[in-house]
Amino acid sequence: MTTAVVNANRELFKGINLRQKTIMLISCLSLLLIAIVVSSAFIDENALSTDFESKNLAPSLEHPFGTDWMGRDMFVRTLGGLGLSIIIGALASSISTIISVFLGLLSSIGKIEDSIVSWLVDLFLSIPHLLLIILISIGFGGGATGVIIGVALSHWTSLTRVVRAEVKQIKTQEYIHISQKFGKSKWWIAKNHIFPHLLPQFVLGTIVMFPHAILHEASVTFLGFGLSPHEPAIGIILSESMKYLSAGYWWLAFFPGLSLLIVILVFDLIGENLGKMLDPKKAHE
Amino acid sequence: MKKSLSMLLIGMLLVVAVMVSGCADSKTEASGTEEIRTDELIAAVGTHGGEPESGFNPITGWGYNHEPLIQSTLFNRNNNAAFVGDLATEHSASEDGYTWTVTIRNDVKFHDGESLTAEDVAFTFNTAANAGGSVDLSMLEKATTIDDDTIKFELNDNQATFINKLAVIGIVPEHAYNEDYGQSPIGSGPYEFVQWDKGQQVILEANPDYYGDEPYFKKLTIVFMEADTAFAAAKSGQIDLAEIPSSYASQKVDGMKVVSLDSIDARGISFPIQPETGEKSEDGYPIGNDVTSDIAIRKALNIGIDRQKLVDAALNGQGEEEFTGVDKLPWGNKDAIFEDGNIDEAKKILNDAGWKDTDGDGIVEKNEVKAEFTLLYAASAQERQALAVSISEESKKIGINIIPEGASWDKIDTLALSTPVVFGYGSLDPTDLYLKYYSKSYDPSSYNNIIKYSNPTVDSHLRAAITNPDQNAANKDWQLAAWDGDTGFSSKGDATWMWMATVDYLYIMDEKIDIGTPKIQPHGADIFGNILEWELKGN
Repeated sequence: MTTAVVNANRELFKGINLRQKTIMLISCLSLLLIAIVVSSAFIDENALSTDFESKNLAPSLEHPFGTDWMGRDMFVRTLGGLGLSIIIGALASSISTIISVFLGLLSSIGKIEDSIVSWLVDLFLSIPHLLLIILISIGFGGGATGVIIGVALSHWTSLTRVVRAEVKQIKTQEYIHISQKFGKSKWWIAKNHIFPHLLPQFVLGTIVMFPHAILHEASVTFLGFGLSPHEPAIGIILSESMKYLSAGYWWLAFFPGLSLLIVILVFDLIGENLGKMLDPKKAHE
Repeated sequence: MKKSLSMLLIGMLLVVAVMVSGCADSKTEASGTEEIRTDELIAAVGTHGGEPESGFNPITGWGYNHEPLIQSTLFNRNNNAAFVGDLATEHSASEDGYTWTVTIRNDVKFHDGESLTAEDVAFTFNTAANAGGSVDLSMLEKATTIDDDTIKFELNDNQATFINKLAVIGIVPEHAYNEDYGQSPIGSGPYEFVQWDKGQQVILEANPDYYGDEPYFKKLTIVFMEADTAFAAAKSGQIDLAEIPSSYASQKVDGMKVVSLDSIDARGISFPIQPETGEKSEDGYPIGNDVTSDIAIRKALNIGIDRQKLVDAALNGQGEEEFTGVDKLPWGNKDAIFEDGNIDEAKKILNDAGWKDTDGDGIVEKNEVKAEFTLLYAASAQERQALAVSISEESKKIGINIIPEGASWDKIDTLALSTPVVFGYGSLDPTDLYLKYYSKSYDPSSYNNIIKYSNPTVDSHLRAAITNPDQNAANKDWQLAAWDGDTGFSSKGDATWMWMATVDYLYIMDEKIDIGTPKIQPHGADIFGNILEWELKGN
């Protein structure tokens, strides 16, 4: 998909090299996401309020995404839901990254620490992911905080594995051995030799985790956990829209679903392009 | 990552496919309803009760508030809610009101051919009283038989409203009753139980030996569906009758009509009357609310909110405004009804009581307490959600901030003593008022007097009402409890609840079905209440 985008752009931006184009693409996409979050934060309460005079309206210029059964503008609701999703995604992926960095480095210290970390990873992987999120969010008292904590505390496993493997590989390198022979402390080696190699993994891992977290937030709220049914969350909007499919109100499901899809794809594109820039092995693709 | 993306894409495709097929269905549906079905009725009803968890057992609550179909009761209510004998032929109460005698007809047989005797009646009531099901039988000491056709009920409290209990509990056979009775019930009602496919449907067939009128529909299949699925099924001609949410009121389907039934099912907000003192119930749930314990807040909301606006908006006009929770019933007090939607008056009440907007955010404060509270509603009930959201928007106009929050009943149970809740009540039994407002009815294990209300004058009116064997005089006492010119539980008095509206029940059905004169619809509706009158026109 990226190559297609890049090919299409080739004619438009002739004077710019590939690297610059990628940077431009990434910044444009990021701008879109930031715009969603910022505008959702500034949604006027009146825009979300009910207007029973104009309920179940099909999309029009005034209501680009139509209105729902309480006459609320679906564009504003979708925006609010996506904003919430992205914020939850951001919180979840940054918390997960911190956890995986910590656990990944912990496993490099010694054998016992390593088995504890692998055991933890196995434990979390053995429980179905959605179930785990629901369990954690109920354990933390439900509500929006419950969902955020649930999503945040369950996405660190795969990145931890990657970090752990990376650390193991780096530790076998000769310059690490030489460094040890020179009498550098473990901390110094971790800071100056291992950590710089891990940095791209963290950045990429965080961004790739984003869409996962968002999809999981959407599924949990879709199933009715966490938020009240009148609050805008993308899962709630979608599950509510299911009730009206038989009445023919297709726009209730279509636009929010499409928007969610676009946001996810945007994150995927950013992740892929960023990977090309940061990963030396892929830098020349 | 790739996998989840493709999953999402597939999901989207599925949604589109469903929509397309939904549209296609509506075109072919006409041929579905052309089929001549003579005496079989397939219905999806019961958004409230739905599929009974513990089966079709009157002892655990089946048929309470609605026609049990499989079993028969001692009394029925006619279209005006007056009592008529079903199994009972005569009844009398002793002078002191502590002993009731009921005579039953002797020609009634259960579906298995055994005769229904006084033994079965006594057994049913004694078992129900011990089981502590959803019907409150705490006033019944014991039921005994005098002879084969006569039962004596001994009460521990002279409640004249006891006859209501005789009209809601279906009689079960003593010889065929055990714990699994609800799975394959035997009764003496107009319909015989055939089959129950859990989660899907229950099939009933007309009882050939029924002592009453013969039903037109010989086979009754009740399917358990979500309202939107039921609508789609009705649209495609798979079912003849479906209960639909009010938001579907304007839907048109060829060959089907939308029928709206008035009900006495009121929606109201409970206001915890006690202030927050840190007191906890036995289960450790907090009691009291510092905002709603102030009568000015409760009065301002009752006077300031325009109920008709709530009905028009949140209920799609499918309802009527409601002031005391029992407006339409003989024991409803017309004097307690007033002109609402008066924002200026509401603001004045708040201002006089010391609630003022000092920080300019549009919400009033008093002694550092903000006029703000959470309003819980059952997340599964759409009309309660709409009412909660609407009232939250309306209340801002008088300076009170209501934060709606949808929750499961399990969660609501833990908070109901300290947080206002959107409740639904609608019973033909005035005992409901006694349980709601009588101070000693307070029982944290149930919803009885959940607001912890206590007013000695109201108590004495309620006590007079419940013990008065003269129905008309009792109605007068019930009315005085709401408002006696001086005090009462209604908005004019202590403004204990904020009653908003009664909801209409909506059905979409084959236009050939004639449902006669429906009975008064209580909480959860009772569309089958007059099933014996139903027929198919044009056949």
